Amino acid sequence: MSAEQKRAWLVLIVTIVSVGGYVVLVPFVGAWAAFTFGLYFLLLFLPLVGRKQPADERDKSIARRGTMAGGLASYLAFVLGCMGTWWVAFAWKGQEQVSVHTMGIIACLGALVFWSVRSIVILVLYGRHVEADDA
Amino acid sequence: MPEVTNCIRRLRFDNGEMTQQELAVRAGVTRQTIIAIEAGKYAPSLPLAFRIARAFGAKVEEVFEYHEAPPSAPQA
Repeated sequence: MSAEQKRAWLVLIVTIVSVGGYVVLVPFVGAWAAFTFGLYFLLLFLPLVGRKQPADERDKSIARRGTMAGGLASYLAFVLGCMGTWWVAFAWKGQEQVSVHTMGIIACLGALVFWSVRSIVILVLYGRHVEADDA
Repeated sequence: MPEVTNCIRRLRFDNGEMTQQELAVRAGVTRQTIIAIEAGKYAPSLPLAFRIARAFGAKVEEVFEYHEAPPSAPQA
């Protein structure tokens, strides 16, 4: 298993634990359950995972495609998050103001989507046909 | 069918049953990449294709074969 695959699995595990922990804890501690997303700080240690294993052009190509897919999905989530906020707050509830925490939630959602989609795409591409970037 | 096929497996056999790891070291990539190329799951870049061919002492067209897809009809 390559270093990129190990990193992708770590990200998916952290994501599942974070989201699962949040869902389980919300009934007990309310919005404070969001602290489970502090686990995402673990992702800062990603470069340390499997660093002894050198990456070649295939690893780099797959990582680049995963990053692009994650970035696109994250941007889409950001746009939908902003549009959804507008629709719920202004069009549906008739509010003229939005809590500043909403932006934080949208940013967290963006990070969640970016890392999750990137990891899933990387794991899928390792099992499928891929071409070199200049092929 | 992939557009680029190869005969790396046969060439490894012809070169004293060269291991995938040995070929990977000679070509400067990981064994996983050699496995993916051999299985037709990865189409290598030109420099890597040349390095693999050189590892066998062969020309690149003796290792890789390009199957041109039929051109699609131009739309009016």
